[in-house]
Amino acid sequence: MNPRLITGAGIVSPVGIGRQAFFEAMHAGARAEGHGPTASFDVSTYPHAKVAEVPGFDAAKYLGEKGLRTLDRLSKLLVVAARLALHDIGLKRDGAWIPVPEGVTPWSERTGIVVSNAYASLEAISELDRIAILEDARYINPSRFPLTVSNTAAGYASIWEELRALNVSVSDGNCGALDAVACADALLEGERADLLLVGGAEAMSEALFVAFDRLHAFGDRARAPDAKARSLPWQRSPVGVFPGEARLGEAAVLFALETEKGAHDRAKAQGLAAPATLATICGYGASFEPPKRAEALLYAAPVALERAIQSALDDAGVPAGDVDAVVSGISGIRAFDAAELTAIDRTVGASGFVSAPKLAHGETLGAGGALAILTAIAHMRGDGGAYAVRGALRGPVRTVVVTALGYYGNAAALVMKRPAS
Amino acid sequence: MRMRKAEERGSARGVPGAASMAPHLDRIACIGLQRCVIPFPRRTIRSTRVAPPLRGALNSPPLLVGVDRVFVTGLGVVSSIGLGRTEFFQALARGKNGISPVAAFDGAAMGRGYAGEVKGFDARDHLTRAEQHRLGRCAAMALAAARMAVDDAEIGESHLAGPRTAVVLGTTMGEARILASLDREWILGGASAVTRAQLPRYGSTLLPIHVARALGARGMVLTLPAACAAGNYAIGFAADLIRAGRADVVITGAAELVQELQFSGFVRLAAMASLKCQPFDLNRQGLLLGEGAGVIVLESEAHAKRRGARVAAEVGGYGLSCDAYHITRPHPEASGSITAMRAALARSGIGAGDVDFVNAHGTGTKHNDAAESKVIRDVFGDRRIPVSSMKSMLGHCMGAASALEAIGCVFTLETGLYPPTIGFETPDPECNVNVVANVAQLGKNDIVVNNSLAFGGYNAVSVFAKPGVLPPPRAAGTRAPPPTMPGGNA
Repeated sequence: MNPRLITGAGIVSPVGIGRQAFFEAMHAGARAEGHGPTASFDVSTYPHAKVAEVPGFDAAKYLGEKGLRTLDRLSKLLVVAARLALHDIGLKRDGAWIPVPEGVTPWSERTGIVVSNAYASLEAISELDRIAILEDARYINPSRFPLTVSNTAAGYASIWEELRALNVSVSDGNCGALDAVACADALLEGERADLLLVGGAEAMSEALFVAFDRLHAFGDRARAPDAKARSLPWQRSPVGVFPGEARLGEAAVLFALETEKGAHDRAKAQGLAAPATLATICGYGASFEPPKRAEALLYAAPVALERAIQSALDDAGVPAGDVDAVVSGISGIRAFDAAELTAIDRTVGASGFVSAPKLAHGETLGAGGALAILTAIAHMRGDGGAYAVRGALRGPVRTVVVTALGYYGNAAALVMKRPAS
Repeated sequence: MRMRKAEERGSARGVPGAASMAPHLDRIACIGLQRCVIPFPRRTIRSTRVAPPLRGALNSPPLLVGVDRVFVTGLGVVSSIGLGRTEFFQALARGKNGISPVAAFDGAAMGRGYAGEVKGFDARDHLTRAEQHRLGRCAAMALAAARMAVDDAEIGESHLAGPRTAVVLGTTMGEARILASLDREWILGGASAVTRAQLPRYGSTLLPIHVARALGARGMVLTLPAACAAGNYAIGFAADLIRAGRADVVITGAAELVQELQFSGFVRLAAMASLKCQPFDLNRQGLLLGEGAGVIVLESEAHAKRRGARVAAEVGGYGLSCDAYHITRPHPEASGSITAMRAALARSGIGAGDVDFVNAHGTGTKHNDAAESKVIRDVFGDRRIPVSSMKSMLGHCMGAASALEAIGCVFTLETGLYPPTIGFETPDPECNVNVVANVAQLGKNDIVVNNSLAFGGYNAVSVFAKPGVLPPPRAAGTRAPPPTMPGGNA
């Protein structure tokens, strides 16, 4: 792929909101505490609950009070991330687009959004289902109904931030944010927008927690195998990187992605000598490998990730020996962690530095890959060594591979490079 | 296993009396009997003829990623008016009505009781026993349609197996019935009542994974949940994957099912009609929901040539934009939709005068049809280009809608027939477009446009053409500046 420049970021994460706060947290090796959530749902029913919520998230602080009533938590997280990203890149000031000279197309018409999400607004869907089941479907609130549609949060981001060039929603589980980069790459190549906000979002909700809790995927439940849950892959594997440590998380991350020419043209229009490039994305790969057993559905597929990594390296024209660090999607689900490490060993080598940012943020599913991309940037700055699951961060980090392994045999990988200056 | 090919299911079951409305019985009768007697038989790439000159002034060559042409080589359909290419084409030609009383739940309790449910679909006809166990109804329809598309493309396993085949599907809510079932267990019985084995079966992520698994595809698997424009999004991105050299073959399209919460939501939005969907009609009451799956096989020109594929259509450019106006309503000036349609034409290297037919979004709601008519008038001017909405027959199949309508575009390219907008009675001055009313019409069919819009302000427009008609794409990096047009997304 042609190099794509990351030139800004809007971040709402369990360890910090905003680019500066996030990278300071990365520098400090911060981890979400995983205390019981107080905003997303009532945890009194789940005394064992440990989730990585964005602490004290208040959308009104960033968006004002007006108009928030129809937004659910996912939409609020994403809209705030979009606004922060546009301010970070300097295209918005105090919530408004910077003016352009007469005759030049406004930035709102040249900017789009490509966002990954795995489970949409489960909170809103469950709320409407609860009304329909316990009362009557005739009483559901029509203003909440659009939230049942998977792309609604992205739609709200466009409405609030006036992103008119295009709006694309992507769903591929915890590989989605890396796929969003591939989509954005094609859209930039096709000159469909000058700038794209790319990333992912996932919101904490009781429904999502219950689902993963019932599957004994995280936390205390994962440490105590359940005889009734032997069919689940994470209960069968004795191998674990940090079993039971990870937890469900939430986040919204959008980074500004541009072509090299686009970034320089924009910087020039803003009176800057050069764009402030955080990193370059230069390779992408994806693959799929199904389980051997016909009845199986969940599957940790090292072969798929091997193919994805190799494909990404080929796409970037980078030999495996040049890779300085790998940012993995390792999350604490044992079989999947083992499969991911196996794939990394077979492609990039078994001795290099491997990090797991989900130690900090929890499993954020659709946003996971976007947080991994930011972690790669932190590694390029010499930070984030605290999230190592193997090796140590030594010397200059110029080239990073970012990996994601899905729950169904899907996998994706990116190759990133540190900017020249 | 009771799998059998959709093509072997026998003749279409038309609505009584509908056949008498169709003046093209000889043409309809040809559909599916022998491919070679279809008036415009699919072409074998090896014998590509010289493209006829386009009627209108050409814009600059198409703005596409990469230089390879992308061809449709197979079609698969699960719909309320027919399963498989043959049944579906015959039903489109006859103007078959797929609307019937809702059977999956008590719609009448909401004061509405009709939808385009697919009542003739039995997963056992298309899926293995293990697949029936793993897949929900939405994925089952997607996989059945995918298998039909692969059969239709006559593409062997060796051409599908491996990392050069990707699967990209669209949907709005995916396995919404599984989620509703899980929610019911949880709400009534608490977390411990939730059936653990059902949990991994939910998620729109799964649709392409099931298809990839069944067909041996090992490349990218991706869901584009772009609401009611999802089919166009999926097909557009699938074509980009091929043009960018990331895949040789992409199985793409979309699937959706009728579900109670969705049904209730549209009733509560006062957007649902009671008995019939009448797009562009003065007395239209709203939409009716539908369900189904439309899946197509896309191949690069090189791959299609290598295996001697028969080509049904060429995928042209597509246009995207976002209204950024309202979460459910289109922009009253339709500026975003106009931008998307103009972009689709520009990216195909054609002008508005080159287009023969518009397969409209046409939901039957007041706002949509008025705004869409404005788009068509703005882009095509006073040409009175034929326009039709298949939703009058199928209902609004949400995520699957524009995928099924893309197959409707191929129907037009192959047969020369424009599918009718059934139930059209009274023209609406606010919808001043040339509606193909009630009966399929025969007409010019070199290039057709597939329009779609969606919640979230999404606009997506695709162009389909007879193979060889569109000008060739240019190499990357040699593009001229895009034509000037209002708004971004040029």
